[in-house]
Amino acid sequence: MMQVAMEEARAPSGCSSTTTTIDDHIMYAWTDWEPVVADDWGPFSAALTDDFHDLIDSMIHADHIFDDSPAGDLFSLTQTPSYDSSPRSMTIGDSVPVEADVNAACYGGGGDKGLRLVHLLVAAAEALAGPHKSPELARVILVRLKELVAQAAGGGTSIERLAAHFTDALQGLLDTGAHAHLGGRSSVRDGHRSADALTAFQLLQDMSPYIKFGHFTANQAILEETLGDRRVHIVDYDIAEGVQWASLMQALVSRPGGQPPPHLRITTVSRGGSRAMQETGRRLAAFAASLGQPFSFSQCRLDADERFRPASVKVVKGETVVMNCVLHPTMSAIRRGSAASVTSFLSGAAVLGAKVVTLVEEPEEEEEEERGFVGRFMGELHRYSAVWDSLEAGFPMQERARGLVEKVILGPRIAGAVGRAYQEAKEGEREGGWGEWMAAMGFGRVRISCFNHSQAKLLLGLFNDGYKVEEDGCNKLVLAWKTRRLLSASVWKPLPPATPPCPTSPIVPVGILALEGSDFFQD
Amino acid sequence: MFPSKKPTNINPPPMCVQADSGLVLTTDPKPRLRWTVELHDRFVDAVNQLGGPDKATPKTIMRVMGVKGLTLYHLKSHLQKFRLGKQPHKEFNDHSLKDAAALELQRNAASSSRIMGRTMNDRSVQVTEAIRMQLEVQRRLHEQLEVQKHLQIRIEAQGKYMQSILEKAYQTLAAEGMPSGVGYKELGDQALDASMGFPSPHDLQLYGGSDHQVMDLQQQMNQSLDGFLLTNNSNNDNDNACLGKKMRPHHPYMNPNEKHPFLWDDDLQVQEEASKSDQIQVAPPDRGEGIDDIDDVYEAKPAAGMLSADQSAGLEKKFEGPSSHGWHQTDDDRTWQLRPSKKLVL
Repeated sequence: MMQVAMEEARAPSGCSSTTTTIDDHIMYAWTDWEPVVADDWGPFSAALTDDFHDLIDSMIHADHIFDDSPAGDLFSLTQTPSYDSSPRSMTIGDSVPVEADVNAACYGGGGDKGLRLVHLLVAAAEALAGPHKSPELARVILVRLKELVAQAAGGGTSIERLAAHFTDALQGLLDTGAHAHLGGRSSVRDGHRSADALTAFQLLQDMSPYIKFGHFTANQAILEETLGDRRVHIVDYDIAEGVQWASLMQALVSRPGGQPPPHLRITTVSRGGSRAMQETGRRLAAFAASLGQPFSFSQCRLDADERFRPASVKVVKGETVVMNCVLHPTMSAIRRGSAASVTSFLSGAAVLGAKVVTLVEEPEEEEEEERGFVGRFMGELHRYSAVWDSLEAGFPMQERARGLVEKVILGPRIAGAVGRAYQEAKEGEREGGWGEWMAAMGFGRVRISCFNHSQAKLLLGLFNDGYKVEEDGCNKLVLAWKTRRLLSASVWKPLPPATPPCPTSPIVPVGILALEGSDFFQD
Repeated sequence: MFPSKKPTNINPPPMCVQADSGLVLTTDPKPRLRWTVELHDRFVDAVNQLGGPDKATPKTIMRVMGVKGLTLYHLKSHLQKFRLGKQPHKEFNDHSLKDAAALELQRNAASSSRIMGRTMNDRSVQVTEAIRMQLEVQRRLHEQLEVQKHLQIRIEAQGKYMQSILEKAYQTLAAEGMPSGVGYKELGDQALDASMGFPSPHDLQLYGGSDHQVMDLQQQMNQSLDGFLLTNNSNNDNDNACLGKKMRPHHPYMNPNEKHPFLWDDDLQVQEEASKSDQIQVAPPDRGEGIDDIDDVYEAKPAAGMLSADQSAGLEKKFEGPSSHGWHQTDDDRTWQLRPSKKLVL
């Protein structure tokens, strides 16, 4: 069935110039797909878990056989997606030699629907920005997609919800162009944190180590770098709700040794409406007071062009400056910063004489070749399917909770990611993580300590087994779900303007006591 | 110290100290060098001065230590043992703690068997080595405990902070005149002290078993997640969908007249983003049964016989054992609370 359907679909993409013909073909194709239901696949229909991530993974790396997932094994037989060969020139026709006999053996209910949805999504992406662009085709595909996901009454499966968000994102691209999405529609607006958003945020924190990983790793590095300092000044690119600093303050007052905590000053970079920031500042101050942590808070504004000017930050003599850059806003009132904005911020580190720069970002999968929109789109699909899977694996029964998190937090981020992918593909920008950029700019790497690494491992241990910590280089920890890297936290040292780079700095792990008589064991 | 196996010990202790060099030799027929702590410390100093056990050689060590009566032979064998003893130090960085501990145990076992095989005179050295390795293991474990302890208080701090945010938000909502999540308010302090439980008990066994700690934290955490739930915010803002529920008289699981922590006001509405017709509806439509919403987030304990077939099947599994599932039943308010499960058995 799939084969038939795919053959039908092949035709349109091949003749995108004649729109009327396309429509006819498409209409034919869509109706033809109708009867394909899970029941056709007989005994295999209920067997598979919705491990969507593996499904997509198998599509991207068609040679790769996943032993742990039954779906993965099966898909490796199909060779359905020859997407790996030339993602840029992907068309439906090229990609799907679905063998009829393989179908019978392979697809479970979830797999089948999921595969179909993914194909459609990629087809839509293709139609939007691939070599045979056709907005009409895209529109039609999206209509079909909406039908398919809407069919899922009562929330649907994970796959359907994921597909729905991506459909939404693509629709947005189609309707309003990429610009609306650069902002990353956040359900959180300046000055008003909806309780929903907060609820979702808390849920996300409880269900995954995603947020804590970045915060705690960065904080531990900051703690180590500022050991012994009397004044610490943190310049925060995106304070969001200030959640990161609560645990830092706690750690500052709990340092072994019993010395009084250093004075902590936090300057947050603000954009426009600062009422929410003031509120955040008040809250942080109250929290600090409750801990007995000396604290002060200030804001500095970005320029009109969203650039950070170091001069706008007031630096007190004798204080240690730390730049904190968390680039995965889950609770942020701001749009994800433009590249120029982040660049200006990171570059300001040297000017401000910062001692350390902590960076938390979503790493890109290493792709040697430059990818077009479709490739990036698939990358985002892959990434978010991993996130979806990770949430589901940990909390399979809590569909409602996950649904809320997906809708409120992940959905807007998907929209933003898709928009960015579109924009960057259009402009031919070479994507790379900010970490690579910093390395290229000559920032030194600050080694992640054993303590930090252990902390990350312990943190992940509180959640599902599928989460892993990897060390990447000496200064980066990466949170991965199964094989997909989701988040990276790295620590850097800006170069003072005229001195040569210093590759590492000795770290004194905080909180490690030496046993008596254990000198024997120290290097 | 290690008692001599010689049955007759009438004379002063089996060792005699050579006053000039400070070396301790046993009085056994074959005079062997006893590596006292002091001597060993000097040895270690010397080794460190020379750049570590791999760089130091018996000759150079001998020179640096400058201890009379110390022969190359003594130093050679001691250095070898020292190097072996050093290895666990490196491996701790690479393996997880469990592996390292296992390795250590293996090594200890090996050295114990070596101990058996040797003559009694070497035994003291071997045992010392074993003890030192044990100390190393303990030190590493202690380190891990420290990390764990700090992690716990940091998570707690973050949880408290989140609580303050949420409380503020709900107060704001209440102030704005919208019906607020009564359930949330009633939870009071319980809510959101999101301290996550410690790693599973099997990890903790390595730490010398602080099982009571585990229980404590898990308790705390269960209580904290309590709040989450059904954070029912009945925000009438069209832009937000709520998890809120309408209390229906025919609510299958709860007697609406009961005071229940998760009761909501009657005028709470479920809001869907129906207004956003151009968006995909991914939120489930109001199913008209309040419990369904709770179900999927943090479940309420179902009254017997009230379950639909598949739900009861699902819950059956949850009853199987608290440690393997995400659910804990608390004593008092008949609610299930969420514990992130490491290994969910379905």
